[in-house]
Amino acid sequence: MSVLLDVQELQTRFQVRKGYVYAVNGVSFKLEEGETLAVVGESGCGKSVTMLSLVRLLPPAASIENGKVLLRGDDLLQIDQRQLRDVRGGQIGMIFQDPMTSLNPFINIGTQMSEPLIYHRGMSKKEALARSAELLEMVGIPDGEARLREYPHQFSGGMRQRVMIAMSMSCEPAVLIADEPTTALDVTIQAQIVELVKELRDRSGVAVIWITHDLSVVAGIADRVIVMYAGYIVEEAPVDALFEDPRHPYTVGLMGALPSLEGDTGTRLTTIGGSPPDLEDLPDFCPFHTRCPYSIDRCRTENPMLEPVADASDRGHRAACWVDIREVEVQSNGAGASS
Amino acid sequence: MTTQEITATGDIEIAEASRTNLWRDAVARLAANRLAVVAILPIVLLFFIAAFGPFLTPYDFLAQDFTARLASPSSEHWLGTDELGRDVFSRILYGARTAVSVGLVSTAISLIVGLVMGSLAGYLGGRVDMLVVWLTDMTRSMPALLLAIVINLTLKVPLEAWMEQMYLATKNGFFRQTMWVDLVLVFGALALIQWPGYARLIRGQILSIRSRNYVLAARALGMPTGRILTRYVIPNAMGPLIVAVSAGMGGAMVLESAFSFLGVGVQLPIPSWGKMISDGLRMWQTHPHLLVGPAVMMAVITVSFAWLGDGLNDALNPRQWGG
Ligand SMILES: Nc1ncnc2c1ncn2[C@@H]1O[C@H](COP(=O)(O)OP(=O)(O)OP(=O)(O)O)[C@@H](O)[C@H]1O
Ligand code: SF4
Ligand SMILES: [Mg+2]
Repeated sequence: MSVLLDVQELQTRFQVRKGYVYAVNGVSFKLEEGETLAVVGESGCGKSVTMLSLVRLLPPAASIENGKVLLRGDDLLQIDQRQLRDVRGGQIGMIFQDPMTSLNPFINIGTQMSEPLIYHRGMSKKEALARSAELLEMVGIPDGEARLREYPHQFSGGMRQRVMIAMSMSCEPAVLIADEPTTALDVTIQAQIVELVKELRDRSGVAVIWITHDLSVVAGIADRVIVMYAGYIVEEAPVDALFEDPRHPYTVGLMGALPSLEGDTGTRLTTIGGSPPDLEDLPDFCPFHTRCPYSIDRCRTENPMLEPVADASDRGHRAACWVDIREVEVQSNGAGASS
Repeated sequence: MTTQEITATGDIEIAEASRTNLWRDAVARLAANRLAVVAILPIVLLFFIAAFGPFLTPYDFLAQDFTARLASPSSEHWLGTDELGRDVFSRILYGARTAVSVGLVSTAISLIVGLVMGSLAGYLGGRVDMLVVWLTDMTRSMPALLLAIVINLTLKVPLEAWMEQMYLATKNGFFRQTMWVDLVLVFGALALIQWPGYARLIRGQILSIRSRNYVLAARALGMPTGRILTRYVIPNAMGPLIVAVSAGMGGAMVLESAFSFLGVGVQLPIPSWGKMISDGLRMWQTHPHLLVGPAVMMAVITVSFAWLGDGLNDALNPRQWGG
């Protein structure tokens, strides 16, 4: 397997009135061809900003301060706007959280779907419409040709997310970034969307980055997982290793927050005691120490690097923690009790 | 519109929707709005009179009846005559032409300027935005009428002198008609006064629309900026813009009458309601018929544009399309 996307030391911050919000703080990861990578972490930990940084889709207040984003060797942070537009949609497709507002209410579905095909693939309007109808059927919307003439408000949320998926996949990108694509949908429809993306992935071989709060989805779809906290990657592992042998206290906390069997849907990962640090005023030591039951003195003086864990079953299993949590007894049964 | 689950087609939900056209829906909603429908009649009538007025008038607008100066309304002169014995009704009909051209031209100019400036400011942000905001603030801080007077006083004489020179140089009859100077000055002043409103509206719309998901999604699909502006941002900004344009048409006509009142309006041989109102005001106590006709027309048209604008806004609002 060869490396498709190689992100190195990415740093993104927002200018605010009193200074900066440090949203992404030196994030490095690789994505291999055809691989599915899940990104998990609490709300506000920088998942979306990281992904938007890859294709420079950030709001005006944001700036990328450092890093490289190598897509098959080309640094996306260096290429010009024209090349960047070719990458967006052409090489990297994206789908977002809220399908209800992701389509332009003024343009019918057919026209909207044809635009990237005309723009990236140089198709004629007629070819693009024909292809769009096929794409609709491919994402499970029957009677595609007739529905091309309809407007977004004539589609339900789940259908609109299918349309978004069809659009982002229409130019056969190498990477599909899905930023919590099911969060806004009903449970039954969530499962359908996950299945759809799996099916499309298996058919087309696209590499997927799937951002989610829902660990049960991670288990079902991902090859590898990245856990983010306060703009850092705190643990990275193949999916089985992460579930069976989590090494960062924060990851352990997330596991503890897994929904119980009769629990409701998509439980948000917020059941770890305490709250994440202020991103405007980050410590220069471990950002998790205020919430960590394993914390030692060193945690308050030095920030741990993301490094391979001891006795790992897989070389790709890395964590950013000074403590080998397997060797420590915590009285209070998991994370969250101390502060 | 209902959403139902259909299992036969592979377990996906189908939005059962009326497969009608978006614009037809909007027209239907507009037709359901009583005020808007009421307002359409005078507006259509206005445009009709503006186009065909000269064929409808009982008298020529310049024809003077010296036997009946300042006559009260009668079967001969339905709305009476003015000081020079000209038929008021005929002049009102001709005035529609002035009103419509003032409304259309000045609104078109200020709208184009406002669209360009507002789009640039909203989309590019940064220094361009600061410059445009500063320009609009500057213009808006000056009293409209004062601005018109200053423009008229400073530019009229040099422009007329320039026309004269051009005529001498080219012998082109076009340059002999100083009414063009008047028109340019009035339309210019109106556009100058009105563009900041449109620019600020567009800018605000763009700032709000730019952060919407469908713009992000379009950018993520690699759509070029110009395409996003014309296909995504501007159509979505249309609702409030149409309201503003509709009210602005009425506003431009009222402003023009204020100009006329101050003697910096259109000094055409063709009558303007503003001019008629300002002339009529001088003797409204003795001869109210000179004032009532044009004033009522002006009021009806202004209110109609405002109502129509509101109706259009409701009809075109995407929020009501279940979006
Ligand atoms: N426009 C902005 N201005 C200032 N700070 C921002 C802005 N957008 C995001 N941030 C900050 O960046 C941080 C990371 O945000 P991001 O959207 O990446 O979080 P996330 O992990 O995607 O969360 P969620 O799960 O809620 O989507 C947040 O803490 C937020 O405060
Ligand atoms: S470095 Fe220390 S504080 Fe940070 S997670 Fe590890 S044990 Fe906890
Ligand atoms: Mg997010």
